Amino acid sequence: MSELRQIAAVCLLGISGLRDRYATALVVVVGMACVVGVLTSMLSVTAGLARAYLRPEDATRAVVWRGGARFDQARGLQPDAIATILDAPGIARGTDGTPLADAEFLMWLPPVVGFADGSLQLRGVGPAGFALRPGLRMVAGRPLGAGKRELLVGVGAARKFGLGVGSEVRLRDGAWPIVGVFSCGGDTMESYLVGDALTVMAARRRAGFAQVIAQLVDDRAYPEFQRWLTENPALSVYVERKTDYDQRAFGIKTAFFTRMAYLIGAIMALGAMFGVVKIMYGSLRARAREIGTLRAIGFGATPVVVSVLAEAALLAVIGALLGAATAWLIFDGRDLWVWGAFRLRVSPSLWALGLVWALVTSILGGLFPALRAGRLPPVEALRVE
Amino acid sequence: MKFLPLVWASLWRNRAESALTLLALSVAFALFGTMLTLNAAYQRSIDDARMDRLIVACAFDCGVIPLGYREPLARIAGVTAVGAELWLGGWQQDERHPIVVTLVDEGLRSAWPELPMSAADWRALDVAPAGIFLSRSAAARRNVRIGDTLTVNTLPGSRADGSSAWPFTVLGFIPDPPGWGPSTGGPASDMIVGNLRYSQNAGRPDERDDATSLRVAVDRPEHARAVCREIEARFTNATPALYCVPAREDAQELADANINMRQISLGIGAAGLFMILFLCANGIAESVRERLPEFGVLKAVGYRDGRIAVLVLLEAAVPTLLAALVGTALALGVSVLVARLALKGVINMPEMQASPAAFGWALAAALVIALLSAVTPLYRLWRSDVAAVIAGRR
Repeated sequence: MSELRQIAAVCLLGISGLRDRYATALVVVVGMACVVGVLTSMLSVTAGLARAYLRPEDATRAVVWRGGARFDQARGLQPDAIATILDAPGIARGTDGTPLADAEFLMWLPPVVGFADGSLQLRGVGPAGFALRPGLRMVAGRPLGAGKRELLVGVGAARKFGLGVGSEVRLRDGAWPIVGVFSCGGDTMESYLVGDALTVMAARRRAGFAQVIAQLVDDRAYPEFQRWLTENPALSVYVERKTDYDQRAFGIKTAFFTRMAYLIGAIMALGAMFGVVKIMYGSLRARAREIGTLRAIGFGATPVVVSVLAEAALLAVIGALLGAATAWLIFDGRDLWVWGAFRLRVSPSLWALGLVWALVTSILGGLFPALRAGRLPPVEALRVE
Repeated sequence: MKFLPLVWASLWRNRAESALTLLALSVAFALFGTMLTLNAAYQRSIDDARMDRLIVACAFDCGVIPLGYREPLARIAGVTAVGAELWLGGWQQDERHPIVVTLVDEGLRSAWPELPMSAADWRALDVAPAGIFLSRSAAARRNVRIGDTLTVNTLPGSRADGSSAWPFTVLGFIPDPPGWGPSTGGPASDMIVGNLRYSQNAGRPDERDDATSLRVAVDRPEHARAVCREIEARFTNATPALYCVPAREDAQELADANINMRQISLGIGAAGLFMILFLCANGIAESVRERLPEFGVLKAVGYRDGRIAVLVLLEAAVPTLLAALVGTALALGVSVLVARLALKGVINMPEMQASPAAFGWALAAALVIALLSAVTPLYRLWRSDVAAVIAGRR
């Protein structure tokens, strides 16, 4: 019998015996389910935030800030500077020939639920702001009227703060009505109220924009666009690719949580690994006669080693699938607010990560029992009570 | 006590497997302890915050508040003190080493007496406006000594002379203050306190009278909400308008906002325990199954079911309790690691300290796990026939 056939036979024999050892098998399955369930649940935050922040359309976009004020709430860009920025080379044009670039700002509103970071924010956008977001769809109400004191609300903010068409939001000069609710393909834009930038600016009694977001004709246009702006003596601006900004904003928000997820996942995996070692040694004891018989009739050590590892791996895979499925059922698609609205996502890559995590843990845990099984002399194995 | 030799012997019947079980249990309890410590830190951040202290900031388009607001606020009925603080944020060597100095005025001495500075510290700060006091943790993190110069580098043009460097002299150290930190970057222990006059003297002329927020002390905690409403009403039409919240409510909101770490920590801790419950139960079941003849003999020599139950329970409880102690001690180390991760990120997180309650909860959880693990094997033992067991027929 070839070694491969021997491996297959011994593996099948071991796996068929799992029915008799269901209690010990359950320990490994539950352990791995807990490890992978916790890991994927925690990382679903990162996956959800990535979906909200890292947008494919951002690859050909750039953001222009005033000097070092590289945050959405800044207000240093004045209209004369913006006019110059819109003249920069490489900016794509709309069907009407106007530059596809928009001067915007973000402002905090009085906290709805408190000072904590869950406060409502209003993004002031111009006409090009809507053109820059082709995924924006009205799900209720109507678009903004030009120059009117009215607002739109993203579906995320609407859910979080209980707002809708007809709700009113208190701004500096009184209550503004919400006339529409929009979705934007899961973009962070869904976390904001949106108003006409100039009208909101007049109401807030403070001039200035935070940034200009520009759609470039293609990715190759960026170096020239950046050079033209940064070397322009009339401007004092900082230019970055939108993807770099996304990474800056996204990475800093998720760093702690991602590290925590891996730390906790590693601690749990360590605990599960000790459990696997114990269970596999127990399994080895239970299968000692079977292994001894196989070795006595000519089966090699390798098939025995592989069968122990395969058993550990199989149980780990079942546990991992169970854990990931539980996390998916509980968390996938659930709304969360972390500096903005987004949906938790137990993505296929997280399922894969969970599987790999469990497999590595189980193989490390099963290694010593497997090696011991391979080295067990047949005579000694047959004597085990 | 007379059970102990029996328990001890049974625990070491299979040394390797007992050691592995103990290791797995210890790791799970380390995780459980860490999560309890994290949870306790959030709870403490709420408990430390007082209801009779108010935090006042701008309501719209949040920026800064004019220092001129202090006087009208002080005249509101129920207000006993008003103080101002300005966060001077920047970095030390480079942007990877952020630093925030909380510049405070004299009024904060009464409005925020929880800031652990002595009268001598306040006098020293008054005499040397460019001086700073660092909390012990902040000093340890930056490895500074009294007399050292600590420079905060900011964006260009933050000073009247056009420079961006703010040199401070270290005057001394203060205990780590309780509660939340001065920024979203770190815990309360990373506190550096300076004098607001430094900013007024050296800052840009148009920013000299700015405060990041005001702190207001009220005469009685039950007046806090009413005073907050009065403050917001009086400044509704001012520029900037004000928003006010009692410090305790703010701490509560901060703990529960965004990702609710309190809930998450309990969920993770529970998952960790669930993971080892099966391992523990399996170990006890296996042990009882293999030792059925031994229990049969004990029954035959007069051990009653209750005494055998105690024996099995002790066999389950000793390793879990031991693991709970070892794991919770390990948790202190893991908590330090988690706190370091928080410092590197931007998530708001209160300071984590050893929690005596964590030990208590871990021991209680250990007992529950032991009890649950022993239920099925005990049921099996009670149903077993002594004669059959001794004869090896079961």
